[in-house]
Amino acid sequence: MSLEAFETPPQPAPDFDSEGFWRATAEGRLALCRCRECRTWLQPPLERCKRCAGPTGFEPVSGRGTIYSFIVSRHPCCPGYLDATPYVVALIDLEEQEGLRLPARLLDVEPAAVRIGDRAIVAITDLPGGDFRIPTFRIVAAPDV
Amino acid sequence: MREAAIVGIGRTALTRSSGRSVLAQAAEAARAAIADAGLGAADVDGMCSFQASDSILGYELADAIGIDELRWNRDLFGGGNLAASIVMSAALAVSAGLCETAVVFRAMNGRSGFRFGTAQGRTILARGEMQFQAPQGYVAPPQWMAMWARRHQAVYGSTCEDLGQIAIVHNRHAAANPHALARKPLTMDAYLAARWIHEPLRLYDCAFEADGAVALVVTTAERARDLPHQPVRIRGHAESSRKGGSWDQWPDTTEMCSASVAPRLWASTGLAPKDIDVACIYDCFTYSAMVGLEDYGFCERGAVGRFYAEGRATYGGDVVVNPHGGLLAEGYLHGFNHHYEAILQLRRDAGARQVEDARVALVTAGAGPVGGGILYTREDA
Repeated sequence: MSLEAFETPPQPAPDFDSEGFWRATAEGRLALCRCRECRTWLQPPLERCKRCAGPTGFEPVSGRGTIYSFIVSRHPCCPGYLDATPYVVALIDLEEQEGLRLPARLLDVEPAAVRIGDRAIVAITDLPGGDFRIPTFRIVAAPDV
Repeated sequence: MREAAIVGIGRTALTRSSGRSVLAQAAEAARAAIADAGLGAADVDGMCSFQASDSILGYELADAIGIDELRWNRDLFGGGNLAASIVMSAALAVSAGLCETAVVFRAMNGRSGFRFGTAQGRTILARGEMQFQAPQGYVAPPQWMAMWARRHQAVYGSTCEDLGQIAIVHNRHAAANPHALARKPLTMDAYLAARWIHEPLRLYDCAFEADGAVALVVTTAERARDLPHQPVRIRGHAESSRKGGSWDQWPDTTEMCSASVAPRLWASTGLAPKDIDVACIYDCFTYSAMVGLEDYGFCERGAVGRFYAEGRATYGGDVVVNPHGGLLAEGYLHGFNHHYEAILQLRRDAGARQVEDARVALVTAGAGPVGGGILYTREDA
């Protein structure tokens, strides 16, 4: 199977732990898994809290975070993105909790202008090839937005 | 418990397109290792390997080389993080008397078959943690390493030129290795002029993917005394699995599993970086070699570029890092070719690239949150 055989990006396969995440993005919201007892945020999501084994649910997050690191992908390696290079993928540390981190594409950026520590805000985006929507981010100009 | 020793090594040629089955290559390497040990297939009653759905099972290999029955067989599922663990597992099985003589192997068509650098079948429908990564176009190891390298550059001031120093030295070492796939000298200009893969990593930051197989033979130290080669002992082993093996959900990506493995390996053996003659550091990317050397304490964080530029990572320096050229230049056999090289060096059979008076070799396995390390010594060391 060559990569060219797949014109659309990989599609998420929601499971019992993650379906709340994808239900929220489908509604245009970013919601992450959180323990109902100790209030720890969990990413990836889990049925029970990894710290206290308490029950979890999905709660909305602000969608604001900072760039922990980022790459400029130039080598076509992923179906659906073969003609999209260069594109920027970042690890976004969300403001809700230290180390609460999502990998996400940055939209509308000049690769050379991105800096670690830049503030970013979520933009829920359609994923071609199906009905899924995914959390992508945009850099926000003002430092405290 | 009985002590174990490594008594045989074997390999196929590393190629870019073998045109052969993985099983055929595994059989060639295993036969070579068994013959090198002065043994026959009938002496082998154990097998151990690791794979990521890209290889054959131990009992398939046993059958292919005429072994009727294995008393002990372990096929571990995973990546290069297991390249040291399989040797230790076999040594433990021999020590415990579960088997007498084991073949430890890794066989793959890593270039012409299943490649780790691209999204393939199982990522098209992205399950598990990959469901949060793959739809973003974030699927491949060079992307993960580039992500960590960028952070390292921001925190410690390391540079692309530092990574280039690593690539240059490992490629230079490969020039003396007839098995190496990349034997042409690399200059800094050529390194920097090569195309970006995923910034900040360029072409020569990436492993040279290969088809091929490598096998070792492990038996009791007692039996080893009657066999043709200088036996090599395992002085110590440690491994670490952190944060569910996630590629991005760990607090500080500027260190790796080796930050936990190295102190335990040094403490359990009483050895230190200054005692190491040969270091086969897992260089699936220049960046993993950089952080490996930092985590093991060969140099300060952020100082690896200088460490290489000053000649401390090569002949006449502090330690010879990857005298065979490593995964960057000999070829990427998922880190198991490191073990072949370490044994060869400790036997002092490495020819033109022999590290003088080599007595102690470190081999590291894996990058990121999961991996291990092993210390080999000559029996007479």
